Amino acid sequence: MVRQKADLLQGTLDMLILKALSTGPMHGYGVGQRITQLAEDLLTVEEGSLYPALYRLEERGWIKSEWGKSENNRRARFYKLTAAGRKRLGVEEENWRLLVLAVGKVMQTT
Amino acid sequence: MWLGSLYRRALALFRSESIHQEIDEEIRFHIEMRTEENVRRGMTPEEARRDAERRFGRITSVKERGYEVRGGRMLETLWQDLRYGIRTLRKQPGFSAVVVLTLAIGIGANSTIFSFANGVLLRPLPYSEPERLVLLDETAPLRGVQSMGVSFPNFLDWRAQNKVFEDVAAYSPGTYTLVGGGEPEQARGARVSGGLFEILGVAPVLGRTISAEEDGPGSETVVILGHGLWQRRFGSEPGVVGSTISINNRPHTVIGVMPPGFKFPEVADLWLPLALDTQRWTRNDHGLGAVARLKPGVSLEQAGSEMAALARRIEEQNPVTNEGLSVSVTDLRAGLVSDYRQALLILLGVVGFVLLIACVNVANLLLARASSRQKEISIRVALGAGRWRVFRQLVTESLVLSAAGGALGLVIAIWGLQLLLAAVPVELPFWMKFDLDGRVLGFTAAVSLLTGLVFGAAPALKASKVDLNETLKEGGRSGAAAGAGPKRLRSLMVVGEVALSLVLLVGAGLMMRSFIRLQQVDVGLDPKNVLTMAVPLPGAKYREPERQSAFFAELVERVKNLPGVRAVGAVSNLPLDGSRWGRSLTVEGRPVLSVGEAPVINHCVVTPGYFRAMNIPVLAGREIAESDAREAPKVTLIDERLAREYWPGESPLGKRIRFGPPESNEPWHTVVGVVGEVRHERPEAATRMSVYVPYRQITVRQMTLAVRAEGDPSGLTAAVRNQVRELDPDQPVTGVRTMEEVISRAIWQPRLHAILFAVFAAVALALASVGIYGVMSYTVTQRTHEIGVRVAMGATPRDIVRLVVGQGLTLTLIGIALGAASALALTRVMSSLLFEVSAADPATFAANMALLTVMSLVACYIPARRATRVDPLVALRYE
Repeated sequence: MVRQKADLLQGTLDMLILKALSTGPMHGYGVGQRITQLAEDLLTVEEGSLYPALYRLEERGWIKSEWGKSENNRRARFYKLTAAGRKRLGVEEENWRLLVLAVGKVMQTT
Repeated sequence: MWLGSLYRRALALFRSESIHQEIDEEIRFHIEMRTEENVRRGMTPEEARRDAERRFGRITSVKERGYEVRGGRMLETLWQDLRYGIRTLRKQPGFSAVVVLTLAIGIGANSTIFSFANGVLLRPLPYSEPERLVLLDETAPLRGVQSMGVSFPNFLDWRAQNKVFEDVAAYSPGTYTLVGGGEPEQARGARVSGGLFEILGVAPVLGRTISAEEDGPGSETVVILGHGLWQRRFGSEPGVVGSTISINNRPHTVIGVMPPGFKFPEVADLWLPLALDTQRWTRNDHGLGAVARLKPGVSLEQAGSEMAALARRIEEQNPVTNEGLSVSVTDLRAGLVSDYRQALLILLGVVGFVLLIACVNVANLLLARASSRQKEISIRVALGAGRWRVFRQLVTESLVLSAAGGALGLVIAIWGLQLLLAAVPVELPFWMKFDLDGRVLGFTAAVSLLTGLVFGAAPALKASKVDLNETLKEGGRSGAAAGAGPKRLRSLMVVGEVALSLVLLVGAGLMMRSFIRLQQVDVGLDPKNVLTMAVPLPGAKYREPERQSAFFAELVERVKNLPGVRAVGAVSNLPLDGSRWGRSLTVEGRPVLSVGEAPVINHCVVTPGYFRAMNIPVLAGREIAESDAREAPKVTLIDERLAREYWPGESPLGKRIRFGPPESNEPWHTVVGVVGEVRHERPEAATRMSVYVPYRQITVRQMTLAVRAEGDPSGLTAAVRNQVRELDPDQPVTGVRTMEEVISRAIWQPRLHAILFAVFAAVALALASVGIYGVMSYTVTQRTHEIGVRVAMGATPRDIVRLVVGQGLTLTLIGIALGAASALALTRVMSSLLFEVSAADPATFAANMALLTVMSLVACYIPARRATRVDPLVALRYE
């Protein structure tokens, strides 16, 4: 399990959360698990950053939260992508693609 | 958007505890999930738990962040803003007091009128599902008669044949004499058909309602008591149910007591069975009221068209009696409040205008204050406060002010409502309740909030847009940086205030002119020094017509001989006190018309002295005399209008007419005299022609005495009462009033409207004067420097006055032009409330425009005078 050394790039965590939520509503723990799972254990998201990020996204209106029942039937706060969030995810994905392309080009030289 | 965040803040106020709890719960859930996962991966429970907590890191900072996002910080900001706002306002008690007072007047006026309107128009009627209750009445559309009362057989047909009502009930209000168990007492009540209480959906608190058998003809021996009467006269004794009491000198068994607050119709306090039979009560005898409950899902329109169709069927079967008759179906509340509705809506508009003027004044004060606070604001912005934050802070201050104004306004409203109710001389319907219920409180709160936003937003917007460089660079010279924006805003305020005030002044002027006209109307009699009182003889005791006429003959004779009495007479229905007796008129030699077409005349029964007591002129022929006895030839007097209508250009004397249903065989009465026209129903218009018949030829049980005194008539009250008592100790008198009081009561609504309009217009004028004065003073202060330069360049005081007054006057004239145009458009809605005054009355418009101009000249002249005293040296050095 490779620990992520530096902070994720500014805004990258937000994008990952939006991506994780794009398949459906999830509670906070589930979001962390999902990202780790999608990254095939190459990434873990620290709780200390996960929740502030969730709150930040909620404040911006990209996700919203409500109480629901977890898979083991416990009360949990579920997060859900809003329409604005879905749009935002599209923008982020596009930006990310460009960034990867650009960084890749830079790193390929010499 | 800002309102949304305000809403979230307000919500957070109530939720701040639960926000923390929710976040705690979310974190706990996360830690438990992680712990379970860890255990699955082979850790011991303690290890697993520690690891889960460690991974979370600084839990407190996560919590903080969540708290902020979920609205917690908003709450704190709000508190900060509020505390800061209150602190600043307390530092300027004078300013705050003026603002709060101004707002309190505006909001108080609105809450007063609203709580009145609430009681009349909004509060539910005290019946079950009152929205399904309707009033039914017969109409004669061909004659333009909207309400002629229902005849008993028609009512029975309606009840049996309609398909839209659950049930229909008929009733007939009346006055009943209770004897025994205390003073003889007149109680108002009604005869009602069985089923009335069930239709209204109100059950008795004791006993039962009227059964079908008891409603049968001739069995009127039971009575239901109103709660008030039961408490007052029978000491809330439950045993009274089943006992026998005397009503109109006949024994009645009490079968029930209704709950407190129940009345129907509006004033009834006891109910007897209607118990009519169709032998005596024919289709020609109109006069019953009818109420019905719509079946669920049936609309008023459906019921109306069904009933019209039913009326046509009845008409086909009874062509003689029902020709030209139809039915009206009215919503119960609409039927009850038609008099008040329009006036109340107009008054709500009026107080709305007053509040707008108050808002403009306060906005102006805030604007002036904001420019003197510019430095403070600039520093806050320089220190990093966002504009949005500054704007929010200023609006919060406005809301603090408007909340205080609203609270004080509520106090004014409580007081104002009492004044308003005290100015209503008639008994208002029992269901009109005027307490401060949730609706009034909610309305006041909403108006206060809205007010705060209206007057606060513009100044706050201006102030938060400070130009840092400008303000700070100029060393904070007061207001110079205010720029052209606020100046334009201020000019707009002056124009707006003048326009709004003019609309109110014109409205008030029209109302007052109309009322003065109404007061000066010649109603056809001389009300001065006349005392009136009604003497209703109970039917059981005075059954024979001879006994009735003998009583009144004796009474009139006795009163005539009292010292200080100049003339005395009695009449069956006193003009302008609301009593009516309409009968159909048939003229000998003219075609006999159906009941739907025959004219309805005002039918008065009088004693010989009546015309002298009222000073009604006899224009031709003779008066009624004592010799017009029961067996003597039947005679009548007619009024001028009837004479003109039927015998234009010839003498009506000797012609014969008869009253009542055209098909009936009532005897003919010969016209022996013509008298002046008296306005019986409304002072503003003669509606029905009148006839006067001798009291011995057509007898009535209730007559009203009219006593003309040498001087002030009220001094005679006790002496006249004594004469009644000497004649019959059990005989009550009611409605003791001078004739002037009777007339003044007949026009209480126009008077109240005129007073209210005048009060609100005066408040508006005062507020507007203060407002214009405030703006002009401020402008002069702003222009001190410029004026100093002008004086230094040789401008005379005259030039300065002309400069300042000219500026103010220009704005005023623009405002007057706008106001006159709006007034022309708006006063049209009140034309139905006006009497003999056009809604566009040029004199009223001109007078009020002049008044406003003069007022504004004064308001401008005072600051202008101050401007002339500007010392150029001081003004320039100040720079």
